[in-house]
Amino acid sequence: MLEVKNVTKRYANHTALDDVSLLVPQGTVYGLLGPNGAGKTTLIRIINRITAPDSGEIWLDGKPMTQEDIYHIGYLPEERGLYKKMKVGEQALYFAQLKGMPRREAAEKLKSWFKRFEIREWWDKKVEELSKGMAQKVQFIVTVLHEPKLLIFDEPFSGFDPINANILKEEILRLKDGGATVIFSTHNMASVEEICDNITLINKSKNILTGNVDRIRHRYGENTFRLDFTGSKPELLQKLREKGIPVTDDAGTALYSSLRIKMPEGPASREILALVNETVEIRNFTEIIPSMNDIFIRAVEGTPA
Amino acid sequence: MSKIGIIIQREFNQRVRKKSFIITTILTPILMIGLIAAPILIAMAGSSDEKTIVVVDESGVIAGRLQDGGKLRFRKTDKSAEELRRNREENVFGYLAVGKDIVTNPSDITLYSYEPSTMEVERNIASQVEDIIENIRLQAYNIENLPQIMADVRADVSLSTYRIDEEGQDKASSSVLSYGVAYVFGFLIYLFVFIYGGMVMQGVVEEKSSKVLELMVSSVKPFQLMLGKILGIAAVALTQFFIWMVLLFVFGTVLGSLVMPDPDTLREAAQGATMGMDVSGMTGNLNPETMEIIRNVTDLSYLAKLFGGFVIFFIGGYLLYAAMFAAVGSAVDNVADTQQLQLPISMPLILSIIVLINAMNDPNGKLAFWFSLIPFTSPIIMMARIPYGVPFWQLAVSVLLLYGSFVGMVWVAGKIYRVGIFMYGKKPTLKEVVKWARYKN
Repeated sequence: MLEVKNVTKRYANHTALDDVSLLVPQGTVYGLLGPNGAGKTTLIRIINRITAPDSGEIWLDGKPMTQEDIYHIGYLPEERGLYKKMKVGEQALYFAQLKGMPRREAAEKLKSWFKRFEIREWWDKKVEELSKGMAQKVQFIVTVLHEPKLLIFDEPFSGFDPINANILKEEILRLKDGGATVIFSTHNMASVEEICDNITLINKSKNILTGNVDRIRHRYGENTFRLDFTGSKPELLQKLREKGIPVTDDAGTALYSSLRIKMPEGPASREILALVNETVEIRNFTEIIPSMNDIFIRAVEGTPA
Repeated sequence: MSKIGIIIQREFNQRVRKKSFIITTILTPILMIGLIAAPILIAMAGSSDEKTIVVVDESGVIAGRLQDGGKLRFRKTDKSAEELRRNREENVFGYLAVGKDIVTNPSDITLYSYEPSTMEVERNIASQVEDIIENIRLQAYNIENLPQIMADVRADVSLSTYRIDEEGQDKASSSVLSYGVAYVFGFLIYLFVFIYGGMVMQGVVEEKSSKVLELMVSSVKPFQLMLGKILGIAAVALTQFFIWMVLLFVFGTVLGSLVMPDPDTLREAAQGATMGMDVSGMTGNLNPETMEIIRNVTDLSYLAKLFGGFVIFFIGGYLLYAAMFAAVGSAVDNVADTQQLQLPISMPLILSIIVLINAMNDPNGKLAFWFSLIPFTSPIIMMARIPYGVPFWQLAVSVLLLYGSFVGMVWVAGKIYRVGIFMYGKKPTLKEVVKWARYKN
């Protein structure tokens, strides 16, 4: 379990992080979201002890984090960098050895990773011959090779095509299944919905939204439902308005008419549903859960300047 | 293996495997030997550019006595100067017009050349003619047995020098050799420190600009990274140095055996010469100064002292400067920006080269003494003094100071490095540097 406690970091003319706290439970995937320049990378660098916070602490498993802990985590920096003139395989071996892996074990594991990513023919290529996306794959392998319990990825999806982004998503879930805790920062909201258990949204150096992804989405949903039906639309509209239910028109299809209905809380909702059922034939009735993308935009734009 | 060991290994392997390293390592000694051998070979094969000078001698006493020597050939002619001026003869450098009263009027002699004349030619002619005139004038005194007297009074002075050391033993010392060795070794250290120190700086800048550092520091301490780089490149430098020495030795021996008598004879002859024996039969026309040099060069303890000193002072000097170069590299974003920050490092090195000349002329003077103790200049200046002999305590103090200040410098540089490597674009404030310096690992 990783805990960020009231971390503040100021630079000469701006505050990068202002009293940010968050808690990453063991064995979960945690997303750090936020617009550009919000302070995500600064937070990640503080967790990795590359930068020191002005105040606040980072705790790992109930103890303040030490430099020794850093050597056991897997960190994929935002600025991807490898030695350009070095051969891919040799370089991966070098980093693995620096992480304390015996050479032979590292070589075996690398071979199997290279096989799985279908990049075996890159082993003897120099890094400068690879494309940016290819180099990222290599760097990802280097980051996870020593099977760390805690993984921190800064913008892991940037620079990947959709196919490779998908592979990456699967790999992150695989790491989670293997018991690892994964923290990553991203702009890729679709990936957040698919793989994150919890998120924190940082905007203007503050933590403005934190919690479980499903709960957050539900909360932002405001109990609105989409109704597809056949029957008289005006009649249904009139009946619902008499009950004081907020309804908006929605574009239907060739076969069905559609409405958006904001349902009341509790047992009253059953009454409304019964009323709808009496009036028209229900084809489909689903809660509208906002995408993380919508939530992101709403939360960020709603932040007071 | 320790992490520093892994880093050293990478730095070493990457550099030693580079084509440029292999090429410079092999080519430099060949080039050096070539530079030394070329003039000798050209001189040996250079009989083709003999200069023939036609002598128009109105006095009749000069032409017959002029001796061919070096590349000069003299030929008497009956033609007049006028004719020679009009019709140039084949393969003639020029003609020498000697006046009728040359013996009483020595300036009545002129060289007309078809090609630009050289100092060598002029000096040769002038000195020969001087000797001839002097001889003629001497003969005019009608002294008996003149040739015998002249031969008897002739003296070639060759000054032997001995230095009396602390135990009262005198050692032969050759200033010429010491001078040369001092210069070469002092300069070699200067070059090596600049080249390999610069390599450290470039390495740091490259790691910084390729953003590989962030990945590295999640595996190793920045200090380990810096020290590993410095030591790895030191290993490269020493490897190159030893390969050069071996190649030079091999080429030198091969070349030497072609142009010189075998070394054993030389050594015996040299020892004989210092004992005052007549050894001219064994060595031909080598003069005592040359013998002295050969004796020293073949003296193993002298060589051991030189190379030992070089290795100790090179390593110390390199480590001290490399730490500073690493700090500079960490503070900038690209190699072009290093110029200004490099200045404080270059200054003491350049100062050393200036003092080096002085130290070679006066190896035990105040200037040489102090600069050979100050750590920033001691590697070069002490190296210049070693061939002349330096008291042991001075060597010890110098080495201690040098290595002590290396340790201090690495500590400070490590702190700067730690801050510098993550400072992109903006310069760190002093307050921040202090904060970073206090940040516990």
